[in-house]
Amino acid sequence: MKIECTIDGKALSLSVNSNKPLSLILMEDVGNRTIISHCRGKACGNCIVLINDEAELSCIIPAFRLRDATIRTFESYQKTRQYRDIERAYQATGNTPCPNCYASKTLIIESILQELTNNTRIKALGRNNLPLRDEEQHEEKLDKKAIIQELSLNTCQCMDMSEMMQIVEIALTYRRRKRVRRN
Amino acid sequence: MYEGIRSPVIHTPKTLSEFATIAYRYPSAIIWAGGSYLMSQKEYYPSEIKDGIIDLGSLEELKRITRNDRFVEIGAMVTASQLLYAGKLVLPPVLQEALRTLASQIVRRQITIGGSLCVPDMRLALSTTLAVLDAMAEVKYYQGGKVSTHWIPIAKLYDKDGKLLLGSQKALLTRIRIGLEYGDYHKFVCVEDPIRNTDDCVIVAFQASRSQNSLSKVQFCITFPSKAFHISKDLESKLSGMTLPIHPERVNTLSYELVSELTKMHSGISELQLERGRRIFESFLHDLNAQTLSS
Repeated sequence: MKIECTIDGKALSLSVNSNKPLSLILMEDVGNRTIISHCRGKACGNCIVLINDEAELSCIIPAFRLRDATIRTFESYQKTRQYRDIERAYQATGNTPCPNCYASKTLIIESILQELTNNTRIKALGRNNLPLRDEEQHEEKLDKKAIIQELSLNTCQCMDMSEMMQIVEIALTYRRRKRVRRN
Repeated sequence: MYEGIRSPVIHTPKTLSEFATIAYRYPSAIIWAGGSYLMSQKEYYPSEIKDGIIDLGSLEELKRITRNDRFVEIGAMVTASQLLYAGKLVLPPVLQEALRTLASQIVRRQITIGGSLCVPDMRLALSTTLAVLDAMAEVKYYQGGKVSTHWIPIAKLYDKDGKLLLGSQKALLTRIRIGLEYGDYHKFVCVEDPIRNTDDCVIVAFQASRSQNSLSKVQFCITFPSKAFHISKDLESKLSGMTLPIHPERVNTLSYELVSELTKMHSGISELQLERGRRIFESFLHDLNAQTLSS
């Protein structure tokens, strides 16, 4: 099957089995080095990619669902300005994920940041967004339970959940400051 | 590509009548909703798929959520994430809680309602909750060129071990219907991840109505993902009509009745799961007592 999609900014036409998982396509056909595991859909959380700007587990996305999709792996994400917020949060806390899960955990944090900072836009569309407990105090309180649920998608035990939460909070502060400056 | 393995043909019907034609021509084709269960199977890839895959992703009529005064109807291809976003006004609280605890947001985007209900050998949070809510599923059976439609209660879609009972014919679950009359007490608890830790997981959903300290319309379902799907009509009727608060000794007796029922009807449930189930059930009754005494 021929699939036209954009991976890390490159428009590609791939000839792959129609049911091949995206994680295997990235590893075997594209030669991406940031996807290093294929758990066969067991949700180890080490194969996160951004598909049309939404974080997804690439091991449960088949090739036929990729037509015209824009896929961003950690390889291109680490060159973006958004990554700087998370990188600075790692530096500020002195805690960094291990090389095995660095890419995935960073993309999960990015997905959480997007959810939190896009909340106003989503609400305007009539959606009750998940990570915020109290709608009126949404700038102040994060729903820690929902964030922990997101973070535990990656099963690597290299970091404590409290350390991860701290990173999310600091990265969120950087992201919000950046938005305020831009506005 | 793996040598000798043909890439499966992907059929993408846009309407249900197109689906019927394809299902008739390719009876062994795999029906693909979200794909999260199918892709987690060991033999999924590489493997030969004879009649190809019918991708339901383009069937717009299965992606609708509609509501009237009496019920809400949810298309089978609505994702867990979309349903949760549909809002507090549309969904019963127990279903919202089930959707929230179902999986992380990243996985919820992938899980479809129909897909989750049609997993052949494992019962997850949605089946448990919808059974408690007395939800109905619209199932279309395709035999030869004929299509027949049936509304089946979710609780009747599975056997006591939680296996799907849709028969050997080609069937498609198209939508579910949830009544908007439900009790004022809801509880949903899921202990352990049902995918990562299937053998220790326990899922319990409970709903009841309270009026003047009396309990009525109790509905309760306990699921051990790959082992049992249990609705205790006996316990439900015992609880319905009880006056609150229930004496702690009675709570204890009822919880052990549940355990004995479970061990009698299902084999393979571990001691840990039984104890978890019992304690969760007890905690609901204690919570009901606490709420009654504090009001």
